[in-house]
Amino acid sequence: MYVIALTTLRGYLRDKIAWSVLLVAILFCGVPFTASLSMRQVTELSLTLSLSLVSFVLLVLSVFFGGTSLWKDIERRYTFSVISLPISRSKYLLGKFFGTAAFLTLITLFLIPVALAAVYVASHINPPDRPVLWATVLICIGFDLMKYILLVACAFLFSTVSTSFFLPIFGAILTFFAGSMSQQVFDYIHSDAARALSPTTKLVATFVYYVIPNFSAFNLNLNAVYALPLSLQGVLLTASYFVAGVSLLLALACLLFNRREMN
Amino acid sequence: MINAIEITELMKTYRGKRMTRVEALQGISLKVCAGEVFGFLGPNGAGKSTTIKILMGLIRSTSGTASVSGLDVNRPESRRFIGYLPENPSFYDYLTAEEYLRFVGGCFGMPGSLLSRKTEEYLKLLDLWDARKRPIRGFSKGMVQRLGLAQTLLHDPDVYILDEPMSGLDPVGRALVKEIMLDLKRRGKCVFFSTHITADVEAVCDRLAVIVGGVIRKVQRVDEIMAQGVEAYRVHCTDDDQALRVEPAALRETLAKLEQGGRKVTLVEPIRAGLERFFLDVVKECAAEKPV
Amino acid sequence: MAFVLVMAPLSRHLHDRPLFERLGHVPQPEVLKAVSADQAQAVGAAMVMKVMIYFGGLSDETMNRQKTPPDYPAMYRVISGAVKLDPYNMDAYYFAQAVLVWDVRKVDLANDLLDYGMKYRTWDWYLPFFAGFNNAYFLKDYVKAAEYYRSAGELSGSNLYKSLAGRYLQESGRTGLAIVYLSTLVKSEKNEAIRKSYEVRLKAYRVVQIIEQARDLFQVNHGRLPSTIDELIQERFLSAVPVDPYGGRFSLSPKGEVRTSSNFVFGRAKNDERKPE
Ligand SMILES: Nc1ncnc2c1ncn2[C@@H]1O[C@H](COP(=O)(O)OP(=O)(O)O)[C@@H](O)[C@H]1O
Ligand SMILES: [Mg+2]
Repeated sequence: MYVIALTTLRGYLRDKIAWSVLLVAILFCGVPFTASLSMRQVTELSLTLSLSLVSFVLLVLSVFFGGTSLWKDIERRYTFSVISLPISRSKYLLGKFFGTAAFLTLITLFLIPVALAAVYVASHINPPDRPVLWATVLICIGFDLMKYILLVACAFLFSTVSTSFFLPIFGAILTFFAGSMSQQVFDYIHSDAARALSPTTKLVATFVYYVIPNFSAFNLNLNAVYALPLSLQGVLLTASYFVAGVSLLLALACLLFNRREMN
Repeated sequence: MINAIEITELMKTYRGKRMTRVEALQGISLKVCAGEVFGFLGPNGAGKSTTIKILMGLIRSTSGTASVSGLDVNRPESRRFIGYLPENPSFYDYLTAEEYLRFVGGCFGMPGSLLSRKTEEYLKLLDLWDARKRPIRGFSKGMVQRLGLAQTLLHDPDVYILDEPMSGLDPVGRALVKEIMLDLKRRGKCVFFSTHITADVEAVCDRLAVIVGGVIRKVQRVDEIMAQGVEAYRVHCTDDDQALRVEPAALRETLAKLEQGGRKVTLVEPIRAGLERFFLDVVKECAAEKPV
Repeated sequence: MAFVLVMAPLSRHLHDRPLFERLGHVPQPEVLKAVSADQAQAVGAAMVMKVMIYFGGLSDETMNRQKTPPDYPAMYRVISGAVKLDPYNMDAYYFAQAVLVWDVRKVDLANDLLDYGMKYRTWDWYLPFFAGFNNAYFLKDYVKAAEYYRSAGELSGSNLYKSLAGRYLQESGRTGLAIVYLSTLVKSEKNEAIRKSYEVRLKAYRVVQIIEQARDLFQVNHGRLPSTIDELIQERFLSAVPVDPYGGRFSLSPKGEVRTSSNFVFGRAKNDERKPE
């Protein structure tokens, strides 16, 4: 499994697309300039922009590589040579998943200093009212990473049942948006404003809320940008949710992948 | 003694879209012993690859069982003792040949020093040593095929399952593969390979099975077929560019005559209707059966 | 070639579009928030930025050419949408206060925004400082204003804002209040367009303060209020005709309040002048 993960990672690192995405890092140079357009919150804006960029890069990479990784192996018939090795399919799948997760982690580790440098520059030109909580910023980026690893797990699950890249890619994008807004919708239907909605609608929405991953839980941007205190309980709960969610999705993916025919 | 490969009543039905069904295997049974080179002969679409994929756990049989080295093929451990070459193989093309073999060795849990030695040995054997640092992306079909062979040999398994190992190879490559197979046989390994080219079988196989339309029609020793099939002999003598064609019944007589005549016999060659004929006859028989 | 030919008229067309069109249509904030996934802050910031750029381009226009008035309702819509996406966005509150209050006198709307913001930016003294000023200066609700100023004082730890509550919270102190308010802001303002507008306004209030001081002196000397600015000049309480940076003319109301025909807004003076008096 370790070997598979390493080889998968190596494949990503040799992929031209992965490197071209890193060109986005150049955009970070523009962050302090753009942020200085702000009247009252230059540092906050630089944080917002930096976190947005990091998140965007991770989103693109996780959807693209999470969605095509398995599909490409099957499509190019790499699976024949790899699955016939004495490793179980579950190990193969997990190896690919951890390789992808490791790749996202590496990219994040690369982006963190770039992003922090941009914020640092901005905060030096225009010191903020409240000092930047660097630890919170790091935790925020860490949770972003977790979110996208969870998304990769979803994409892998879609890949195990799909013969094309269509379902994994668009399924992942859809899951991402649905999972990002599910909390808002859930809050809405349980508010007074939604009294007029039919009970069935509410039931369906509630069901969907519990089934799809809740990505908004991983969003600590406000805490990072406006130096708001983090709730330890919330952080721990979300981290546990991440572990449980990824395990569940991977277990399901392994189950489906084991039954799959390699033609 | 356990058979290297044992297949019992194996059936495979592919279910396609819109309820189409292809009965690719209709209950085949087969035993292949250790130390045997076994040819799996059949026309295109006969079910050779299907059988092999089931043996490798790539697809699941509809019914029946299969085991390799006594281990059920659904268990990943069974593949530890198999060297498998897929039909038209393709490998992670971003790796170099050397990296790929190291990856494979890693999956087999080979210790590093052994792996390095074997990698070098087989890359050299298969004439890929100069290309070892190049990514597989730039390999020709034949080079990929050679790399696939190197992979099957790498961990020194007991059973070799090769799906059309000669395809895509130049004559030099074919000769090399035959040589490798014979060498494996000498070392008591089991080689099971599929092909639709009879000449390949003739040169190296101990036994063969002919599969047509998902049914095994014949399992036979190659030398028996050859013996059956001898139509005549070609006798070469010294000081004579013209070889003599001799009927089997008259062979002894002719040889004795020649010796008496003081000529030296340099070569006696059997002229066979041979495997080709044998194979075509089996296929024709099946075609005749079908409409019934 | 064709591209060049098209480009010039196109850019002129885009430039001359009605202003609300340039601000663009903003979807329902709830929908926008849901769709923007984890980029709500960025989208909110982009909306504020859009309004600011719109306003920045506009101020020059209005000041130089005195063209169409800005589309304030659209600006307000965008800003209040932005704080739905990111209730912490200080730029949004600041901008609303800086522009909407003075120029359109939508003080209630601004105060609602500020109250909304105070629920989130609990550490920020600017918001109650703004609300205090709005209540005192525009709404003349001195009780509420005092509360906000106290809150601003506590949050900032500065006694100035606490004392503001007592010092200026009365009718006669309005000009002083405005001058303190504006000079507080002008010091920390880095947006060119906004700082310029503060500076102009501050200048105007300083002139008003001079006139008021002259008026008070006049009253002490004569025991009555002056009826016109000219009277103050004739009696040498003022050295010259005071200049309104907004281009208006100062006058005195019967109650002695200092008025200007510009009403502290660019472009108005012209219209007023056209009116038959
Ligand atoms: N994935 C599949 N779906 C449906 N039919 C298939 C599939 N794979 C193979 N077949 C059919 O099964 C039969 C046997 O195929 P195969 O084992 O590949 O033949 P070959 O002996 O040439 O290797 C063929 O008729 C082929 O069309
Ligand atoms: Mg085949």
